[in-house]
Amino acid sequence: MKKIYLHPLPVRIWHWINALGFIILILTGAQIRFVDSMGLMSFETAVQIHSWLGFILLINYFIWLLYYVLSGKLFKIYIPPFWRPIEFIKKSIKQAKYYGYGILIGDKNPHHPSPENKFNPMQQISYLMIMVVLIPLQIITGLILWDPQLFSTLSSLMGGIQIVSLIHTFLWIFFSAFIIVHFYLATLGHTPMAHIKAMFTGYEEEHENH
Amino acid sequence: MRAIIIVGLVIMCFLISYQVPLKEAFSDDTKSCLRCHAISTLKKTTEKGDSISLFVDSKKFEKSVHGAMDCSSCHPNITLKNHPVPKKIYSKADYTKEFSSNCLNCHSKDTLMKNKAHGELVKSGQIYCSECHGYHYIGSLKDWKNKVSFNEYCMSCHKFDFSKTLPSKEKISLRVNEEEIKKSVHGKFQCLVCHDDFSKVKHPIYNFKDKRQYRTEMTRICTKCHTDEMLKKNPAHYALTKTASCIECHGAHGVKSAKVVKSLPENQYCLSCHSRPLSMKMQTGETLSVQVKENEILNSAHKKLKCTECHKEFSTTQHPVRKFASINDYRAKAKDICNNCHQDAVKKYDTSIHAEAYKKGNPRSPECIKCHDYHKVTYISKDKQAGSELCISCHTESGKAFKLSVHQKAILDGKQNAPNCVSCHNSHDVLPTNIAKLEDSCIKCHKDSKVTHSKWLWNPPIRLSSFVDIHFKSASCASCHTNTDKAVFLTLVEKSKGKPIKEEDIAKSLNIDVKEVRNKIDQNKDGKVQQEELWQFMNLMKDKAKSNLAGRIDVLNANDAHKIESKDKAIKDCAYCHNPNSSFKVKVEINKEGAKPVKLETDSKVLNSAYAIPNISDFYVLSLTKIKVLDMLFILALLGGIAVPIGHITLRILTAPIRRKKREGK
Repeated sequence: MKKIYLHPLPVRIWHWINALGFIILILTGAQIRFVDSMGLMSFETAVQIHSWLGFILLINYFIWLLYYVLSGKLFKIYIPPFWRPIEFIKKSIKQAKYYGYGILIGDKNPHHPSPENKFNPMQQISYLMIMVVLIPLQIITGLILWDPQLFSTLSSLMGGIQIVSLIHTFLWIFFSAFIIVHFYLATLGHTPMAHIKAMFTGYEEEHENH
Repeated sequence: MRAIIIVGLVIMCFLISYQVPLKEAFSDDTKSCLRCHAISTLKKTTEKGDSISLFVDSKKFEKSVHGAMDCSSCHPNITLKNHPVPKKIYSKADYTKEFSSNCLNCHSKDTLMKNKAHGELVKSGQIYCSECHGYHYIGSLKDWKNKVSFNEYCMSCHKFDFSKTLPSKEKISLRVNEEEIKKSVHGKFQCLVCHDDFSKVKHPIYNFKDKRQYRTEMTRICTKCHTDEMLKKNPAHYALTKTASCIECHGAHGVKSAKVVKSLPENQYCLSCHSRPLSMKMQTGETLSVQVKENEILNSAHKKLKCTECHKEFSTTQHPVRKFASINDYRAKAKDICNNCHQDAVKKYDTSIHAEAYKKGNPRSPECIKCHDYHKVTYISKDKQAGSELCISCHTESGKAFKLSVHQKAILDGKQNAPNCVSCHNSHDVLPTNIAKLEDSCIKCHKDSKVTHSKWLWNPPIRLSSFVDIHFKSASCASCHTNTDKAVFLTLVEKSKGKPIKEEDIAKSLNIDVKEVRNKIDQNKDGKVQQEELWQFMNLMKDKAKSNLAGRIDVLNANDAHKIESKDKAIKDCAYCHNPNSSFKVKVEINKEGAKPVKLETDSKVLNSAYAIPNISDFYVLSLTKIKVLDMLFILALLGGIAVPIGHITLRILTAPIRRKKREGK
């Protein structure tokens, strides 16, 4: 069994803050939206928690960004090798085949994570989108909704507050579904808890025989 | 005691009477009466204190038309058997009234009514026979008529205080003060000089409708001598004769030389006529009083002004005759007078909803005079309640609502900064409430309202006033500070500038009549705008101009906005608005030029429709305006998210034997 130090401490801290934050944001978001039919907490409390957490995750996002930019890993880990597109697509298809078919018949995971090449092609493309497009978009739209007057220029640039709200809501829907799938995929290590444990310890175990 | 005196008197009368020579011509009846009543000092004092002489001069009586008649003919109730008895008489007037009824025993009412004028007098019951004709010495009327002067003849009746009631219920006194005539410029005239249709045998009866007609008719008498040609010598006076009747200024009988001294101070010069109850007639037939009460001017803000400073076309030499279509027309033109000095106020007024309504011919709409009056113009009243009452006299419902407010309480408590109507709505530039920016008026007094709101109305982690701003922008103050029904108003605006698109503009761009605009929105004319109708209309409008619906939360009934509650009763529950299940009504609001907007009841589901995204693009109230279809999408996404692991796990369970085999095979 080989142990690879896959998740450095700042990333782990960021991840777990993000994970908890996301879940609570999704829940308080639902409470705000379904104020008439959900009874988790009052509207005011939901908004306050949502706003506080929004800002915490905003700072948290910058921890992530700063870490990856300063460590220079952003490019290596998150940017797919667009200069080798065919190979990348082939690898992606292979990875998809693995999750859809190979994993069922006991094939090996074609991707072997390393600190330099942490994500499989599908993860890479999804996390790039999430971390560079969707989360910033959710942060920006969240900020606008947090104080529509302060960010009114930004709001009108985006086509009005209805559009802003629409984007924020769409992403809320997406993240809600994503987090379920994300959690499931996290259980698909060599043991169900393998990836999750790694996210705490930083060390991913790789079974040679698996 | 009284009885002893009476008995004593009777005995004395009898003793003395035998010494008084009585004419044989008198009947025994008369003789026996005169035994006492020939005593010149015989009199009676009424209960009221009047003295009635009981003396009858036998010589004079004999010469009278009734000389040959027995006393009992006129005094039927008195005989020697019952006389003298102590008869209680309250007053001379009572006695006159009672006694005059005896005349009617011989002079039947029909005979008395033959002469119309006399008949009127008898019918009126204001004067009794003996007041004109006397008691015992009634002479021959024919002889009297021949002998008497014209004035004496007329005055014999008209000296009495009697009057005539016209159909208009106005009263004209018919009493003529002879002394007044004597002192007048017509002092030497006989009545008939002016009243030439009257004579000793003719007494026409006029049936004037009202005093105005009476004055006009009487003026004709004057113009017989004072001809137009003569009057034209003084143009101001001539012009005046065309607007006012002579007697309004000169009086009827006490005609004095009304030459108004031109050296009088100007106001006094004008008031020498205008202090009288003059009026002018409009082309519609309405009459307008042009009387000016001096004390009103002296108590007004204009007390130092001369009349001609406002009434520029008039002077001591000029008095043009003006014609006005109606009182409304007159009042509209009066605004120009105010504008000479108060340009700012008039300019502001011209932008107001009042001016617009006035232009459109709303007779209740105010211009300068309706609020400031003609000459009463007062300083701005410090009495806030009184200031409000002026507005409330028309805006009754708003007034009722205001009286329930904390502001009214502040007025009653005498608070210096308590607001009344004009504090928020302005006095002259009163704008339609949807464009008046009334929130600014609130903030004018509640200067620290942003700070006080941001104490609780903020979004963590940073307390920003802009968060208060957005709430102030989206909801009226009254939305939270009144306990009334609320609504979301969706105003049709130009998308880029946010400027309201007026009903007239819509009609123009759709090439339809203004009245049709409403039907263009509410196509099935059921009085409610359904979702489809609104979006169809918005599509139609978008083809013509980039339009959008701007939203705001406000009280459903505008009058309720006046019912501002005390601070502790204000709504602080965010979920009151931020709730898709709020009971807010939705109204589509179409502005109108200078008038209250058209408000159309609308299906509240429009706020939650996906079509709201392009059409109500700038109105967003968390939860309240949520797009409901996205809720479905959320559920689907959750189900999808859950389905992935379940599906995958199922497949993994199903394929477990394959993997086992593969492992074992290895």
